[in-house]
Amino acid sequence: MKRRNLLAGLASVGALGGAGAVATGNAPAALGIGGESSDPVDPVTLDTIDAPGSRDGEVTIPADGRPTFVDFFGTWCPPCAEQMPALGEAHDRVGDEVLFASVTTEDVGGSVSESDVADWWREHDGNWLVAADVTAELAAKLDVGGYPTAVALDADGRIAWSDSGVHTADELVARIEAAQNR
Amino acid sequence: MDRRTYLRSVVGATGVAASAATAGCLGALGSSGAEGTVLGPPEQDLSEASHPSYGDEMPNFTVPDPIAGEDVTVADYEGERAVLWTSFYTNCPDGVCPALILRLRRAQAAAAEGGYGDDLALLALTFDPERDTADVLREYAGQQGVDLDAGNWHFLRPESYEAGQSLLEEKFGLVIEKTDSQYENLEYQFPHYGLILLANKQGIVERAYPRGPQTDIESLVEDVERVVTA
Repeated sequence: MKRRNLLAGLASVGALGGAGAVATGNAPAALGIGGESSDPVDPVTLDTIDAPGSRDGEVTIPADGRPTFVDFFGTWCPPCAEQMPALGEAHDRVGDEVLFASVTTEDVGGSVSESDVADWWREHDGNWLVAADVTAELAAKLDVGGYPTAVALDADGRIAWSDSGVHTADELVARIEAAQNR
Repeated sequence: MDRRTYLRSVVGATGVAASAATAGCLGALGSSGAEGTVLGPPEQDLSEASHPSYGDEMPNFTVPDPIAGEDVTVADYEGERAVLWTSFYTNCPDGVCPALILRLRRAQAAAAEGGYGDDLALLALTFDPERDTADVLREYAGQQGVDLDAGNWHFLRPESYEAGQSLLEEKFGLVIEKTDSQYENLEYQFPHYGLILLANKQGIVERAYPRGPQTDIESLVEDVERVVTA
């Protein structure tokens, strides 16, 4: 067991090294502003949307004491729709040990209704928690740089990985597992 | 252009004077930034860039806001509002533009929360006026979470593509060109330089964020708050 933990630890160092390189090529870190990624992100509480796999309530991100995965999307965004099948597969594979949520920064409850989001969600086979970040507070804390953006945070609420663009289920799962093992 | 060069040389001279003072006479002048600025110099010196940067005058221009149905003249904000500016277009295929708009929009939300929304103007200039009509921009505002009712957000739509192109090139040093699209559903796209500018109420640029889409959002919002509430 110890040996396994050690190996997992090594694996996550490797994965982190890769993530670091990506982040550097990606910017804030390169400008020396994003160096605080080792600090825990202050939790933000968002309203969740009544949709398949989700419920009308609240969610606090990052979760307290377990890793969190966030997909930032918009119902207006074609690549976000394209990302949905891989998200569904990743969600099935990582299970409940990780808080897994999609978050839209649209003006939900204003110019976009909750049922618009729920309709889109149903149409693209969403089956996990979906929430609205109407003031973009969480998007600001997690530095969204385009849509979709995927962010994996460790159990201490520190950003382990963040990248915009469409990702495969394998990559998402690998990044989430690296955050779990951190 | 001469004036810009002049301002740059003043900035340069100030920098030299300040460091000389620090070295020679106990730093009596302190480590203040360029004349007329609230913020100190940025970590990264962008004074050689083609676009306006720290200490430069914010370019003045007049462009229609098609949603409000009025012209917006940047110089009119002097003494009234700080300005946070970017350029974009709604058909931007790769998420760069939503990332730029997100940064302005978060500054708008923070201003509303902090009670300084009336001291800030958020200006998002489209360089695709042919497609970005008032209706398209209004729908885009909803998608991007922009609050059009706050009275401080203006989408700016040049009279023509050419007018926007020359405005961006002459005033902002940004070269925009239509290119053949790699995307089947678009007739054309634009290579895009993701610049955000922050100018204070005196019309002096406080910060240029040349990698706007990747700029740390909370740092940017803090810069805005410091400049607006100074």
